This record gives sequence, structure tokens and C-alpha cells, in this order.
Amino acid sequence: MSSNEYTKVTTVDDVEPERGMSVTVDGIEIALFKVDGEYHAITNRCPHQNAPLDKVGEKKINGEKCWNERRGGFTDQPAVTCPWHLWEIGLETGEHETSGKRVSVFDVKVEGDDVLVKV
Amino acid sequence: MATEQVDTDLEIPAEARDVRIIDLDFHMNPTEDQLIGYVEDDAAREKLSTEFGMLPRKAKSDAAYAIPGGNEGLFTQGKAEAAEDVKLAADKFAIDEPIVNVGLNNTPTQHNPVLKNAIVQAANDFALDQVIPEDLYCLMMVPQWDPEHAAEEIRRVGDEDGFIGAYGWFGPFALFGETRFDPMFEALVEHDLPLVLHGSLSMWPQNTPVGDNMLSWTEMLGLDWPVFAQVNVANMIMSGLFDKFPSLNVIIEEGGHWWIPFLRYRLDEFYEMHPDDIIIQPRKHEMGERRLGRKPSEYLRDNVYVTTQPMAPPERTRDTKQMLEQSMAEDTFLYSSDWPHQTLDPATWAFRNPAFDDDLSKAILHENAEDLFGI
Repeated sequence: MSSNEYTKVTTVDDVEPERGMSVTVDGIEIALFKVDGEYHAITNRCPHQNAPLDKVGEKKINGEKCWNERRGGFTDQPAVTCPWHLWEIGLETGEHETSGKRVSVFDVKVEGDDVLVKV
Repeated sequence: MATEQVDTDLEIPAEARDVRIIDLDFHMNPTEDQLIGYVEDDAAREKLSTEFGMLPRKAKSDAAYAIPGGNEGLFTQGKAEAAEDVKLAADKFAIDEPIVNVGLNNTPTQHNPVLKNAIVQAANDFALDQVIPEDLYCLMMVPQWDPEHAAEEIRRVGDEDGFIGAYGWFGPFALFGETRFDPMFEALVEHDLPLVLHGSLSMWPQNTPVGDNMLSWTEMLGLDWPVFAQVNVANMIMSGLFDKFPSLNVIIEEGGHWWIPFLRYRLDEFYEMHPDDIIIQPRKHEMGERRLGRKPSEYLRDNVYVTTQPMAPPERTRDTKQMLEQSMAEDTFLYSSDWPHQTLDPATWAFRNPAFDDDLSKAILHENAEDLFGI
């Protein structure tokens, strides 16, 4: 279902806060996040080594015995921290500051119970 | 527009499932409670059971200082305490054969040889009891600080099915070309076990005028281990180790790999310019030989291997191809993931980087390891 140039990708109930979720729209792989109540959508591949960013927030194996229980995470910037090497990717800019590498950022909106992304 | 929700456990390109991937550096971290029951020496078990623990860590820098939020580096992906954890983790990255080491890289930092030997014995028996029966290949830990005891330990467990190599540590405290290590090498050759040398936490630069001022993670992990990897490889070659033990193979883990061209040409240049001190290398002197049997670069190609993590190729394909060629990658590179550490290297490059053609990828991902370890 689409609204203008937006495409419904999921419903609000299916988006788990502080976790990553992957959807594809016309073959474009997108990572969807809900952080501090805000929705964000960026390319689902880290510009470093193509790690799937939707794995952010996944519990590590025996994570309860590690300093950080989950893979990757989020910062206040706001940024998502890659699950492989902890590269920080700005959720509003798509930029990794130290390398200058970027990924695409997509507009997200909520209509009723639907979460829509503009590609 | 077509939409699709994606939820796959595989974290690298799907075609990775079609290629056998052997991972030379997969760390397992059994708990001290798991290990202590395997310590056979009563006195050692008593002391290792104290509040002090089995492997107290000397204060050292950690990747945490280099990562916002203080994420720990050693367990970025988690901890594998049991064989099933290893399999679960390996599957995410299409790794078919994780060559498990019991991950006690802090062992060389420990002070007391009786305790260190007990830890190694316990780790090897843990692997025999809980890892190898689950159809996983392992590296036996080798107590290199005591070469005679190392030989005994190799003879104790080296023929056990599932142990395909011996695991030690390279660093600045000893050079493996020293003749005192020959009993260990004799036992390795006798049991047809390659020696896998991993960087050790003990050799992070501490308590030296230079090392104490090396304050960035980039310098410490990026440079320190590769420097001592090169020094050790050169020492093994120039001391005639591979003339005495021509079938010995040594694998350098996590010591970098792009230095091979530097060493390859530089050692040949210097050796061919002035070779007259070879006769006074203790091992060559004992053998009564005035020269190395071959050029240094030939030992580098035939007896030395390096693991690839992190591959860190140049941006441009042609540059990467040149470096691979100069590094003799088809003969010397072995894939490693370093799971679960901060420098994890899933083999994405093998499937997305055009510098790696099919033949080269197969050599790095599995063929070299198959030949080396007979698996």
C-alpha cells in the first residue's frame, strides 16, 4: 500500500524499539529503527564492510556475561552503532564521521498503524 | 512498489553458503568454572581456585577507550562457552569449519609455569571432552615457555582426532628461531602438526619506554603485533629453522598479512648481499652449513602462512590485486574471522570485491587450510 511516494513497510506494532528491522522496497534493502520514539530508515549495509545494520540490538551469544548485552547500539547523536565493528552512522545524515563515508537516509512517517518509507 | 520484510540469520552474501569456509581463528571462551575441573595437578588446582582466579589480567589498554560508550573489544559479538555456541555463531557468517582455539590468550602473561602448564593441560582436556566430540576441529594449546614440557604435551594429546594443529603465541619476549625451542618443533613435526602462533595479550607494549607511550588502539593492535610477527618470521627463517625442519609449517594469526611483500624482498636483498654470518647461527653452526638452503622468500612462501583478519584491502581493485600478488596470497593466506572480537572479519570481501577471483577465494577460504591441516 502506498501513499504519495511513500511505501508501507510495516506496522507500528511490529517495530521493536532499540532494535533493527530490515525491509526491502523495490530491491533496496533498508534498515528501520525506532529510537527514543522516533523512526529512522537508512541503507541496511554499513559503509565499512557491508554489515547488516538490522542486527543492531540483537542479543549477543551469552550476552548477559558481556559488558554490553547486545550487539551494536544507538547514541544520542542520534546514530546507530554497527553490530560488527561499532562504526557510528548518523541516523539523520547517514554519515560515518571519521571516514566520511555515507549511506542513504530515507524519510519515514507513520499513518495510523502503518509505518511508511519514501524511497 | 514491491516490499518485502527480510529476516535472515546469514550476515554475509548468500553465495557464501556454496563455498566451504574454514576459519583459522575462532575463539572459544569457556568459563573458569568449566576449566578448573579439568586441572589434574592438585596443587595447581588449589591455587587456581582461589579468589585470584585462573587468569588475572595485567592492567592494559583496551579497545574500550577507543570506542564511544566504552564497548568492550574482546566480546563485541558475544562469548562461546560451549560447542553449540560456536556452531550458532559460525552459521551467521557461513563458516563451515571454525577451527576452535580455547582462547586463553592471557596465559603467557601469567607468572608461574606450574600454573600455566596446568591451565594448558586443562584447556586441552576440555577441548577433547567437550568440543571435539561435537564435530569441531580444535588447536591444542602448547606451553611454549617450557619447550621440553611443550613436547611432552604435544606427545600427550597431539595424535588425538580433532586436534589439527598446535596453538601458541608470538611476541617480543622470545624469538622462535632460538634453538631451545627445537624439542617442541621436533614433536610438532613428529605429529605432523602445524604451529599456529597468535598474538598474545602479553606482548602489548607495556613497561618499555616506547611502549608506555603508545596510547592509541590504532598503534597497539594495528602495529604492535605485526612488528613482532615479522621479527619472529624473519628469525625463524634466518636461524635455519626450516632447514632443520623442512616440513614444519608456521601460521601467524592476527599479525597482519600485507607486510609479506616487504619481508619477501628485503630479506632476499640483505641475505644475498651479506650471507657470511649464517655459519654462526647456532642451528646452522650445529648443522655445519654455511648458507640457508634457499632464499628467505622461498621459506616465506612454502613454510609460513598468515591469517587474513582484517583483510583491509585498498579501495581500488587494481591496487588490491597487486598487493595480493606480491603477498603470494594464493599460497600464504588463510581466512580467519577472529570471532567474537572487535576486528571480526566476515568473508564478505570474497564475494563482493572483484580483486578476489574464484580461484584465489577458494585458496584463501578453504584450499590452503585443507592442504595444511589435512581436513
